[in-house]
Amino acid sequence: MKRILSVLFIFSVFVTGAYRSAYADEGPFIYFYNPETNINNFASLKRGFDVYLVDHGGYLFQPFDIKETFESAIQGKKGDVYLLSNWHLKALQQKNIPLKIALVGTSKGNTMQRKVLSAKKDITDVSMLKNTVVAGAGSEEYIQSVLKQILGKDQEALLKDIKILIVPKDIDAIMAVGFGMATAAISAESSLEKLAMINPNQHRELHSLGVSEKDYFLIAATLKKPDQKEEQLLEVLRKMPDADAGEENLRMLGIDGWRALQ
Amino acid sequence: MKIRNFCKVLILLTVFWISAGFAQPSKILIVNSDNSVYRYQTIATEFKKIIQQNAYQVAELNLNSHADAETELKQLIQQENPGLIYTIGTKAYLLARDYTHNRKLLFSAAINWRRLDIAEGTYGVANELASAQEISLLRYFLPSIKTIGLLYSDKFSREYVESIKKDALSVGINVVTKAINEDKEIGDALNGLLPKIELFWIISDPVVLSNKESVKTIFQSAQQQKKPVYAYSDVYIEQGAVLAVSADSDTIGRQSASFVLMMDKDKVSEGTVQSPAGSTITLNKCVLDALRLNFNKDALDSINKVVGCEK
Repeated sequence: MKRILSVLFIFSVFVTGAYRSAYADEGPFIYFYNPETNINNFASLKRGFDVYLVDHGGYLFQPFDIKETFESAIQGKKGDVYLLSNWHLKALQQKNIPLKIALVGTSKGNTMQRKVLSAKKDITDVSMLKNTVVAGAGSEEYIQSVLKQILGKDQEALLKDIKILIVPKDIDAIMAVGFGMATAAISAESSLEKLAMINPNQHRELHSLGVSEKDYFLIAATLKKPDQKEEQLLEVLRKMPDADAGEENLRMLGIDGWRALQ
Repeated sequence: MKIRNFCKVLILLTVFWISAGFAQPSKILIVNSDNSVYRYQTIATEFKKIIQQNAYQVAELNLNSHADAETELKQLIQQENPGLIYTIGTKAYLLARDYTHNRKLLFSAAINWRRLDIAEGTYGVANELASAQEISLLRYFLPSIKTIGLLYSDKFSREYVESIKKDALSVGINVVTKAINEDKEIGDALNGLLPKIELFWIISDPVVLSNKESVKTIFQSAQQQKKPVYAYSDVYIEQGAVLAVSADSDTIGRQSASFVLMMDKDKVSEGTVQSPAGSTITLNKCVLDALRLNFNKDALDSINKVVGCEK
């Protein structure tokens, strides 16, 4: 038994080591992490992007579901592109990581969106959210920060008495209010528009308790100013909406194109 | 004078101890039907994460690890004296409900909870999404579908089908239904139903899904008549369903934990059973493309898994 275990151990070390070294030689990469969504669709994202990118310059896509792992990838070499939220980018810049915005994601011609705190109409103001559940998609840290911004200084103390329920996507969060699993929801403005389309009765029952400041949908960033190789990769990204497969991949990220910041 | 001071101190100490006792969250006993089942394990992990962050103590009993789980449960309840019992899966609920002794009981992942005998002091997070959620999500992903059809047994699913019809009507979808009494009727029922509808919906009905042959008949008939199939579970994706919508396990665990926190603040009405707040979506793009269905591209960011034609 011991012998079998030893052989298995040596074999696993060899396989993982070989995989890692092969992996290290590949790329350049597009790294992705977004705390504003909680959908576990990484396998489909990776497959979709890799198929597209391999045919457009041999690039690879690597999504992350753990913030720290994504952040440790950023500390690496030049040549890669990072897709992340602007909220996260600002936090990293404060830690002196020299990320620079290269492209911003677009959706229906817009580059920015607001987050809305919505509840049923019997919840007339935010003070009524004490000891209630607020649903939202994304990391808890992100939802807390949006909620803090919407509540403002006057109502900030409420935060400790609000329980955040993390759900996979915006539409789940809003529907959780309609079906009584949460008292309020944090979602993008566009998600409320989607609810109005699919369930107008439920949408009519909701109203806004507050909105956040506008922020970018998604950012494509590089370490410092993009070099020639990074420019090439950014160009591939920028042209993705021109092909059906490319556009489909972008839509899986919640955007339909890219725009350079003026 | 000294005795008076001593009494004051004693009263103050008593008040402190009592209030400290009330502030302390009670202990929770998690009874898991089978922690080797990934779904149950996920629910337990997410539940514990939040509950322990909020300073609750947790004891656990995994029914699959004990030959005499009933005796083990009785002993554990006596030993740990939990304020609440949280069950995961039907087996755990059916066992635990007889030993609550006025304790609160919260169930989750119990299949079709409406068929269970629910005692007083029992709360729950359902295993299945509410029909209104399923219809809203169907409308979100496939907005052009206006007439859907389903088979059901009157004995097991009448109320559920009634709620489906009502919810569908409120969002402008017409539901054509056909009741069957036994699986032998499926072929004829489908022949009558499929020409009248744009999409067939598989609901979790024990008569309709009584055996593999019934499921095969449904998919073969739907394929012959080029009708897409919408399912309540992603196990049907491989057989040819175009879209599957089910409850998200991680969210059930987190939701159950939030439920407990709200229960302890008296913010939950007795006997409340919530629908799951999170959904998992699987899209079969191979079938979608083959049937040339009109899919809402804006909803692609809400899909958990896209399955292509490659096997």
